Amino acid sequence: MTRATSLLYLDGVSVSFDGFKALNELSLTIAPGEMRAIIGPNGAGKTTMMDVITGKTRPDSGDVFFNGAVDLTGEDEASIAELGIGRKFQKPTVFESHTVWDNLELALKAPRGPFATLFHTITGAEKTRIEDLLDLIRLNDKRDELAANLSHGQKQWLEIGMLLAQDPKLLLVDEPAAGMTDAETAETAELLKDIANDHSVVVVEHDMVFVRSLGVKVTVLHEGSVLAEGSLDHVSADERVVEVYLGR
Amino acid sequence: MMTSFLFRAMDARAGIFLAIMAAAIVLVPAGNLLVPEGSPFHVPTYAVTLMGKYLTYALLALAVDLVWGFCGILSLGHAAFFALGGYAMGMYLMRQIGTRGVYGDPILPDFMVFLNWPELPWYWYGFDMFWFAALMVVLVPGVLAFVFGWFAFRSRVTGVYLSIITQALTYALLLAFFRNDMGFGGNNGLTDFKDILGFDIQADSTRAGLFAASGIALVFCYVICRAVTRSKLGKVLVAVRDAESRTRFLGYRVEHYKLFVWTLSAMMAGVAGALYVPQVGIINPGEFAPANSIEVVIWVAVGGRGTLVGAVLGAVLVNFAKTWFTAALPDIWLFALGGLFVVVTLFLPKGIVGTFSQGWTALRQRKASADYEAGSDEPPSSPPHAPSATARDAEPQPAE
Amino acid sequence: MGGTKKFKRLIPRDAAERLLGMRRLTFIRNAGGPMSFSRSLLLFLFLAMGLTAPALAQSDPEALRPLINELAKGKYDDTQKQIGALVATGDPAVAPALEALGDGDLYFRKSDGMVFIASKAGKGYALTDPLTLESAGEAGRRDVKKIKVNNKLRRVLRSALGSLTLMAPDPAVRKQAAEAVFKSRDPDSIEALDAALAAETDDSVRTVMEQARAAAVLNSDLGDEDKLAAVEVLASMGTRQAMSLLLSVQSSLEGPVRDATAAAVTKIEKSIAAWDAAQNIWYGLSLGSVLLLAAIGLAITFGVMGVINMAHGEMVMIGAYVTFVVQEMIRTSMPGLFDYSLFIALPLAFLVSGAIGVAIERGVIRWLYGRPLETLLATWGISLILQQAVRSLFGPTNREVGNPDWMSGAFEVGQMTITYNRMWIIVFAMLVFAGLMLVLKKTPFGLYTRAVTQNRRMAASMGIRTPWVDALTFGLGSGIAGIAGVALSQIDNVSPNLGQGYIIDSFMVVVFGGVGNLWGTLVGAMTLGVVNKFLEPYAGAVLGKILVLVFIILFIQKRPRGLFALKGRAVEA
Repeated sequence: MTRATSLLYLDGVSVSFDGFKALNELSLTIAPGEMRAIIGPNGAGKTTMMDVITGKTRPDSGDVFFNGAVDLTGEDEASIAELGIGRKFQKPTVFESHTVWDNLELALKAPRGPFATLFHTITGAEKTRIEDLLDLIRLNDKRDELAANLSHGQKQWLEIGMLLAQDPKLLLVDEPAAGMTDAETAETAELLKDIANDHSVVVVEHDMVFVRSLGVKVTVLHEGSVLAEGSLDHVSADERVVEVYLGR
Repeated sequence: MMTSFLFRAMDARAGIFLAIMAAAIVLVPAGNLLVPEGSPFHVPTYAVTLMGKYLTYALLALAVDLVWGFCGILSLGHAAFFALGGYAMGMYLMRQIGTRGVYGDPILPDFMVFLNWPELPWYWYGFDMFWFAALMVVLVPGVLAFVFGWFAFRSRVTGVYLSIITQALTYALLLAFFRNDMGFGGNNGLTDFKDILGFDIQADSTRAGLFAASGIALVFCYVICRAVTRSKLGKVLVAVRDAESRTRFLGYRVEHYKLFVWTLSAMMAGVAGALYVPQVGIINPGEFAPANSIEVVIWVAVGGRGTLVGAVLGAVLVNFAKTWFTAALPDIWLFALGGLFVVVTLFLPKGIVGTFSQGWTALRQRKASADYEAGSDEPPSSPPHAPSATARDAEPQPAE
Repeated sequence: MGGTKKFKRLIPRDAAERLLGMRRLTFIRNAGGPMSFSRSLLLFLFLAMGLTAPALAQSDPEALRPLINELAKGKYDDTQKQIGALVATGDPAVAPALEALGDGDLYFRKSDGMVFIASKAGKGYALTDPLTLESAGEAGRRDVKKIKVNNKLRRVLRSALGSLTLMAPDPAVRKQAAEAVFKSRDPDSIEALDAALAAETDDSVRTVMEQARAAAVLNSDLGDEDKLAAVEVLASMGTRQAMSLLLSVQSSLEGPVRDATAAAVTKIEKSIAAWDAAQNIWYGLSLGSVLLLAAIGLAITFGVMGVINMAHGEMVMIGAYVTFVVQEMIRTSMPGLFDYSLFIALPLAFLVSGAIGVAIERGVIRWLYGRPLETLLATWGISLILQQAVRSLFGPTNREVGNPDWMSGAFEVGQMTITYNRMWIIVFAMLVFAGLMLVLKKTPFGLYTRAVTQNRRMAASMGIRTPWVDALTFGLGSGIAGIAGVALSQIDNVSPNLGQGYIIDSFMVVVFGGVGNLWGTLVGAMTLGVVNKFLEPYAGAVLGKILVLVFIILFIQKRPRGLFALKGRAVEA
């Protein structure tokens, strides 16, 4: 796939911290509408890759393009978010002293400038959208609850809901199943698959069961570059992947 | 749009606050001017001035609370904006003295004659006009805050680092204003004011008027703060306070929000300073002292940060205590103030108002859930816990 | 800098004391009439000579008196001869009389022909014995008569006086006499100088004499050759004094000498600039070490532990008060130990400040970990309490903390003056820094500290008692502040506000250097110190400081985590 037809295009991206190469000539392409799982042992560079895409970390070298044309290395977090890339963090980060409703309202796609928000009055359409999202993430009865009072799993879901409220073209989801019960993990997988119907999604996950249940193409990262790519069965069969994971 | 914006500021809690303020603005001057001196309801002039001073402190506390309580920017330099506003007003008052100064120079203030300055420096031009001085009262602190904030927030200086450079800012200004050649009276500052807008600054009626003006300014700024914090922008500010980088990933330009609220707050501090100066009759570089800025923070912490009423209440209570202590037990005051810092941060992190509303809501909730369990159809509509850090959902309470 | 301080630096301590004492004496003597500075200086020299060379001073004044009284007799030529006779005695005791003669203050009593130094007092004169310098009563206006001198005699007197002092037995006196000639640039002294040079054995005195001679030569009507040699001697001095001398004679010179002078001035300018820079660096390093001392404890509590300790300045202040208490106790009970007072104060200050630090950590700060802004407020409160406590105990005014002998005085390196207290503080700051580095890098305690700072949970699970480490680390930082207080008590006023003056600077240093990095603190302190001192000559002390603050504010915008920032993901965690 070429840069022009891709949604996200990383080519030869390197990042180092004090001599430690977190990303080493990483190249990765996500097609529009695609859902991709990214796995890899600790320190493989998964989170750093997310940081580079969302503008938190500047790469030392390499290209990052969105929609085939927009150079992300020159943009900051806010404008990348505005371009349509949403991110869910490894540790769920919601606004704890806001209610569930307010969390969603803040995430909702709307003008982001200070004067726009100062004089903003919530519209009917926005209310409907929030109601829909509340249903989707099953937090309708908790709408007035402070986010701080939610359980860990509910926070994960709220964050996914906020991601959807942004209505991004591409969702970056970092370990959505971390700390969830098996039942919650299964539900989360279903939710993500629903979302993947009309969004591109990149999921970073440790949990192989979860990745298997997504049933999508898998990229294995190791020491900052791509080790293997393909279906989960394909990569599991790869000698090097087995070696990296089991340390043989 | 504007009306709905301001309308948002109104609820029961704001109503109680505004009613109390309105009563004070009417009753205190009346008690001073209309009630004869022997009457138990007479308010002596010194008390009017003292309370007027408290109100300007309350306004300063409000400004600090807006940035600290709602946006998490702990400013240790707000006294700088307060003092700049004060100096702008002081310059107007100096120009009003005219030939009544010791040296009788119609243009030059006394200290310039004393220093053999041949003519008025350019930055003193215009301060003979009240409207110009009033403009500068908000503009000078506003511009300084804008420039400072633009640099600081753009480079993402946050937390303790920001606190320390705000302290450096006010310290640098302190040193600068001590210099005679700055043209602001050096060590002695500006004083010996005669009149304001043509009224004798010592007269009872002027004092009462200044008290009322301080009250009105406080009410006005309170309504603005309330409207700002209850708007969607206010929610973004709280989001920035709690999870700054998360807010960025949602697409908000955090630096713009901070800059907006920071500049607004500095302007309010400037207004507070401008009202403070004619009431105490002097402005000198001591007002820039870093210790002053830190003291304001404790007023806010005592009252309850993130609650606007708390900031006002804290400022008035702590300063009342200060007045009382420094008169009755002067040696004890610093122990008391120091102890207050420690006790409040350790045991009362939400401050008086925050703790109170938390307790109040918990009580209501218990009652409500008891009703619910007793067979009520409706689940409790109020949130289980009021967000302690925001005034938004906190309940009005009788403490005011 | 006050006049006396400057004085102290230019002249060795003992000489300075004598000088101060003598000046007081001459001023008392002076009360009646005006006396030129050079005269009082010369007087001092003679008196000093009398003190340091008792063998000569013991000469019997009565043996000299007839010779002195002879001065009043005869015409100018006789007086001149008599001056020669006095000089021939080689006794410095005759100098005041000669000096007074030159200034027209020497009178003789008509009744008995006795000679006195006289000054107007009321309607008559106050008389002073010219040999013992004791008061000799008063005399009416008509009872005494001035001994007249003409210009020729004055010249003779000057050179006579010059040779008297230039040949004095004490080298310090000879040196000062030569320095006096250098200032007066009197060509008549050349002869005396030549004679003195021929006899001179001390190299340092010889150099000064040569310089004095050069100065006199330039002022004389000697030939170009002599003058060129003189210019060279002055050029090699390289001091401001030599330059101003050359500049002042430049206009009166012609031809090659003038060119040589111009060249010499340029050369001296360069050398002065270099020395000035060196002196500025020295001052900067000295200020830097003060900053380092103040900040280094903070670098631990703030930099390593992440605790914003606004009471840090008070720990410094308490260290200074410990020094005060130690010195008070020594003064009252064991005055002999005074020179060791600082060594006694150091461990005590460490323990007292450290103990208070541990108490603060256990009592307040440990409840506030992870809430830096709250810590800031609570410790500010503590700082107010500590200040007020010290104010109640010791009073609000400055307390006197003395410098031991080895901390006072100064010495010169080239054209730089180095005071001992500044020098020891620099040495001390470096020692403290090195010691701290050693503790943190080489001891088990340091290892625990670093482990806890880097990963508290992991450290705890490995069996390190983290609360214990926290308390001791905070105690260490506070104790170091106390030690700094002992040093700062030597150069700053010891008052309850002492700490306040350092807290902002300390934070600036730590933040500028980079939090969590002791080397950064060192470099930060030294950089800020030197920058400050280089700005001062152009901007003045206050404006210089403002500029440094503005610079730091801008610097933090550019590098929000300081000079030596930690990078990478660890920072975000």
